[in-house]
Amino acid sequence: MSGTETKTLAIRLQDVRLTLGGKALFDGLSLGLDAPRVAVIGRNGAGKSQLARLVCGLTEADSGTVTVAGVDVAKDRKAAIGTVGILFQNPDHQIIFPTVAEEMAFGLTQQGHTRADAAAMVADMLAKFERANWTDRAVHTLSQGQRHLVCLMSVLLMQPRVIVLDEPFAGLDMATVLRLTRYLDALPQHLVHITHDLDSIASYDRVIWMEAGAVQADGTPDQVIPAYRDAMTRMGERDDFADL
Amino acid sequence: MISLTSDIRTPWHGLPAGPKLLALCLWTLALTWVQVVPVALGACAAVAVLYLPGGVAFVRQGLRLLKPLWVFAVLVGGWHVVTGEIAQGAVILLRLAAAIAAANLVTLTTRLDTMLAVVERALAVLRVPPLFRKRLALAVALVIRFTPVLAQKGSQLVLAWRARSARRPGWHLMVPFALTALDDAERVADAIRARGGA
Amino acid sequence: MERTITLIALFAALIAALGLVPKFDLASGVPITAQSMGFMLAGTVLGAKRGALAALLFLGLVALGLPLLAGGRGGLGVFTGPTLGFLVGFPIAAYVTGALAQGWAAKGGFILPALAATVGGIVVLYGFGIAGFAVVTGKSIAASTAIMAVFIPGDLIKAVLTGLITQGLRKARPDLVVA
Repeated sequence: MSGTETKTLAIRLQDVRLTLGGKALFDGLSLGLDAPRVAVIGRNGAGKSQLARLVCGLTEADSGTVTVAGVDVAKDRKAAIGTVGILFQNPDHQIIFPTVAEEMAFGLTQQGHTRADAAAMVADMLAKFERANWTDRAVHTLSQGQRHLVCLMSVLLMQPRVIVLDEPFAGLDMATVLRLTRYLDALPQHLVHITHDLDSIASYDRVIWMEAGAVQADGTPDQVIPAYRDAMTRMGERDDFADL
Repeated sequence: MISLTSDIRTPWHGLPAGPKLLALCLWTLALTWVQVVPVALGACAAVAVLYLPGGVAFVRQGLRLLKPLWVFAVLVGGWHVVTGEIAQGAVILLRLAAAIAAANLVTLTTRLDTMLAVVERALAVLRVPPLFRKRLALAVALVIRFTPVLAQKGSQLVLAWRARSARRPGWHLMVPFALTALDDAERVADAIRARGGA
Repeated sequence: MERTITLIALFAALIAALGLVPKFDLASGVPITAQSMGFMLAGTVLGAKRGALAALLFLGLVALGLPLLAGGRGGLGVFTGPTLGFLVGFPIAAYVTGALAQGWAAKGGFILPALAATVGGIVVLYGFGIAGFAVVTGKSIAASTAIMAVFIPGDLIKAVLTGLITQGLRKARPDLVVA
């Protein structure tokens, strides 16, 4: 991925409506997520994960459009997969194959590369992360942090232009989070990062605070995060569990 | 897990399960003697009448449960039209409809815990050892608890596949899916052992 | 003993979940429900006895009114219908599959479990299925066989896939998988 590409990449949600399980989740949401580093914060159930799925094209909106770099991600799956990658919260929910090499090669063979080419690309990626000896490792012998890395490498191999991160570090220890954060920060791809970890996004370009399927606040970290902290602190001080 | 029991009250909901099941057995048996179309039609009508106290919505639920019969009806009906034995084909289909609709009626009007109670009583009557009965109850509870959990895991795996492939999910997904069931079984066994064992 | 109970129960739950998750694409472009594969896998993975018990537990819950069969079907109606023979045959097919797979204890291959699944999941299962169909509908065995034969190719593919999946599971959990 060329590091000198400064072409802005347009992620556009236009008048998106989505109903899930009878509940209206998004009602005419329009959003542009163009900056290289965008964070999405908000309470659980605010719609952050569904937003992630819409941006990847894994969920199709009932009406409205979602495009990334001009690609209709829900309808044109082939192009979408080469444009947007996603890292889910739990690696055990996204690793399909038993060995590292098979798992990493999957996306490549699905994109049309031959097995030999895919294997070579996997070897390159492992070497770049200094994990060449992982090729035939069984995934279940790896630690949680190591599995996260396998997922990250698998996504990077598909050379997407945007990577959506759905709370990728939940439950990891601090050192592992710092290490993985360093890898992410160095990536040339645009990142859309959904997280509860407010410290990790302090230097992002933009923070979007979602509440009940709509944008509550949208600005720089300095503008949004203090307001979010205040609101959450006030909510936490209430004894009323009704909205938990 | 949502069972097929209907939430629309009918007079049949109040009846104990045992007699209903017995009646169903006798009815299905009696149907095997039906050989002519008018009698078969009469049997269907009789069952249909039993659905009426539940109202239109209830009848609709009953019809929905009969939907799978359509494929079969086309297959067998078509066969009989081809071989020219239309009356015989009609009897078969009508008999089946009468049997299945009656069985569905019992399912729609009997709650899961009532059914389980009948099973328990039957096992007690058959002098099945209490330890086995306890373990069976545990197994039933585990299936009901874990089916939605595994289904959700399956959906997540499908999502993980679709995130990296434009093709429909293949058989490879069965491996991590089955592994989840095996691994969950290990963990739950530990949890049970930690609480006194089974 | 706890492990045996949970393995049987969780595998029954797996068979049920296979009916709930949208269809897998089992052979490049052919969408088939994977649920019947669950019964054969129960045999190759858990062995004859536990596999059959998992199948029986699953069927018991279907009879009690839970919509666990693919397509949300369930209740006593399915046991009075034309698929009665297959339903009865599933636990037996699982048993036979498991017994053969255990006996042939494949050392790393997929062909032997696939063969076991073919004998159990097709020969035995269809034997019961066709007989049941003939009894319930009053048709001759020949006619019933002709009608049911249309499903055999799909199930043959599933038998082979059962072998491949068993092989994959064996590699991941060698001490848990029986075949």
